[in-house]
Amino acid sequence: MIVAERRHLSEILKNIEPYNKVLILGCRGCVAICSTGGDREVKIIATALRIARKRQGKPLITYEATLIRQCDPEYLANLPELMKDAEAVVSLACGVGVNLIADLYPDIRVYPGVDTLFFGANTQLGVWQEKCRGCGDCIIDLTAGLCPIARCPKNLLNGPCGGSQNGKCEVNPENPCIWHLIIERLKARGELDKLNEIWEPKDWRTYLGESPRKRIREDLIKNNKREG
Amino acid sequence: MGKPKIAVLCCNYTNSATYEDFKDFPCEIVIKRFPCSGSIEIVDILKEFEDDAEGVLVCGCEKEKCHNKTGNLRAEKRVLGAKKYLEEIGIDPERAQMAFVPRLDTGAFVETVKDFVEKILNKDEDKK
Repeated sequence: MIVAERRHLSEILKNIEPYNKVLILGCRGCVAICSTGGDREVKIIATALRIARKRQGKPLITYEATLIRQCDPEYLANLPELMKDAEAVVSLACGVGVNLIADLYPDIRVYPGVDTLFFGANTQLGVWQEKCRGCGDCIIDLTAGLCPIARCPKNLLNGPCGGSQNGKCEVNPENPCIWHLIIERLKARGELDKLNEIWEPKDWRTYLGESPRKRIREDLIKNNKREG
Repeated sequence: MGKPKIAVLCCNYTNSATYEDFKDFPCEIVIKRFPCSGSIEIVDILKEFEDDAEGVLVCGCEKEKCHNKTGNLRAEKRVLGAKKYLEEIGIDPERAQMAFVPRLDTGAFVETVKDFVEKILNKDEDKK
């Protein structure tokens, strides 16, 4: 999932300072799963903002809504209706949702309520860890499913850097050295010789070279009723 | 100016106190009962501050005595969560507290509320 973190209330308050009526808009996708921007957080943040503004002597009226997804135009279709009485929207979706609102509704003032962090897994209650960087050229078939792009702070592709100690990363000793894990795992499977193969150079254009990236499936476009 | 307001959000099974038990308190006590303290949300705590409470006490059953196993521990986490928001708003996070009280012991409950009220009123006194 896309993992996000709530912004400090002072940052949100600064953005909505000129407004008296604001829509707090949640998303039931990734940000709800990572307890940052779902129905529950919409209620909490709306209430917290109202308290803060009341204390500033500038009462705030909030409207609250949570969409199934903010990264899909279909679910954003009724946003103008939700915005009927509001002057601005604080979106608790990831940056994708905020951008799509800005793209589709240039007249709506939209502000992020969260910082979008990474693609990660919920490894234990209250803990999310980055597992994928979305580089567009997966090599995890060669590394026992463990990604050195996302999980090595140096993004090394040719083994451990030499600074790891007792299987721990030298940059952050709380983390395992991912190359240590890759090698141990391949060794246990009797597949260590995989690392002797010469890999093709990694194609970084899929990550950095063609921004913003786009994925197209011609078959879906052709059958798309909205287009047809 | 009226009496300061203190909100107590509690598990229904922690006490059978009535407003009569708090009639001599130097503040207005508002008690809200929940089926279990585990169902008390962060927003419930914040709403009390929005409604001008000077402090909010969340009361759950003693540890390992929760009828729903971990409802009281969940409540404790929610209080911690609420404190974070209060801090960011500029409200002393100590104004929200969790207390674990014996089940159906109204006397202990009233004493716990009394202690909390004293702490909050002292804060208000310091503020002046």
